[in-house]
Amino acid sequence: MAYSNKVIEHYEHPRNVGSLDKGDATVGTGIVGAPACGDVMKLQIKVENGVITDAKFKTYGCGSAIASSSLVTEWVKGMSVDQAMQIKNSQIAEELSLPPVKIHCSVLAEDAIKAAIRDFQQKQGGAPAGEDEPQH
Amino acid sequence: MSVDTDPFALFDLPRRHAAAREAIEQRYLELSRAAHPDNVVGEGTAARRAAVERASAINAAYRTLRDPALRAEALVKLGGIDLDSTDAERGAPHPTQAFLLEMIDLRERLEDGGPAGVAAVRDDVEARSDAALDAAVAALDAGEVRRAAEQLVARRYFQRFLDETDSSAP
Repeated sequence: MAYSNKVIEHYEHPRNVGSLDKGDATVGTGIVGAPACGDVMKLQIKVENGVITDAKFKTYGCGSAIASSSLVTEWVKGMSVDQAMQIKNSQIAEELSLPPVKIHCSVLAEDAIKAAIRDFQQKQGGAPAGEDEPQH
Repeated sequence: MSVDTDPFALFDLPRRHAAAREAIEQRYLELSRAAHPDNVVGEGTAARRAAVERASAINAAYRTLRDPALRAEALVKLGGIDLDSTDAERGAPHPTQAFLLEMIDLRERLEDGGPAGVAAVRDDVEARSDAALDAAVAALDAGEVRRAAEQLVARRYFQRFLDETDSSAP
């Protein structure tokens, strides 16, 4: 399969690989998996005053899954939690020119950022994101 | 599922995991001989194409039936769960958070450990992969397709891990 240049660029030079302290109350951790292929993705965000100030990921999967999570960590830095919640897998797929068979990799990255935000909000004692009014 | 996509029907075998190896080999030889494209040399294009397609279906079914894991996955698929699909209802069941976390921890242990550590982790994961297949077969024998599917998904994660560590070995 031919990967797009952007996928290869993120795959060869992934941004923000690593871990944040899972126990930190300002850190949200999302862990998601693609059962069909055995890919697993961990995406973490650090949130200060409602803004995502840092993001890290570890993805064990194909090039498209690595590129999708790398791209999302780049995007979300500087975003508010609410903005990050709006990221759609279609935007990721479009940015990376993912072929149809790799769309599920971008879905995985969207699920991962949403799971990380939910984890952060639960730590803050807030309601799960997406169902309630934005909290400020 | 038609005979073309049901390897058990194509080979005229019962839908059970415990298929005798000899029976599979025997049927493969019989079917291959009967469907050999040389049999239709001189006939029309359509007949030749049909013969090639049938031979290819027989080979695909044989590859599935002779491999215990693929055979189990085929039985799960016949039971209504397609492990290659991401559909929430009919696709591969999602593993628990705890399981996914463990899959990441395993990788991190590999990154931290030396070659001896890698071998120990690999042995452990291989054993767990085999155990997952055994559990899947037991679940299939008990008619519990969903539980079998869950075990086969776990096995896919273990196999993925083993493939990765294999390719990164020095």
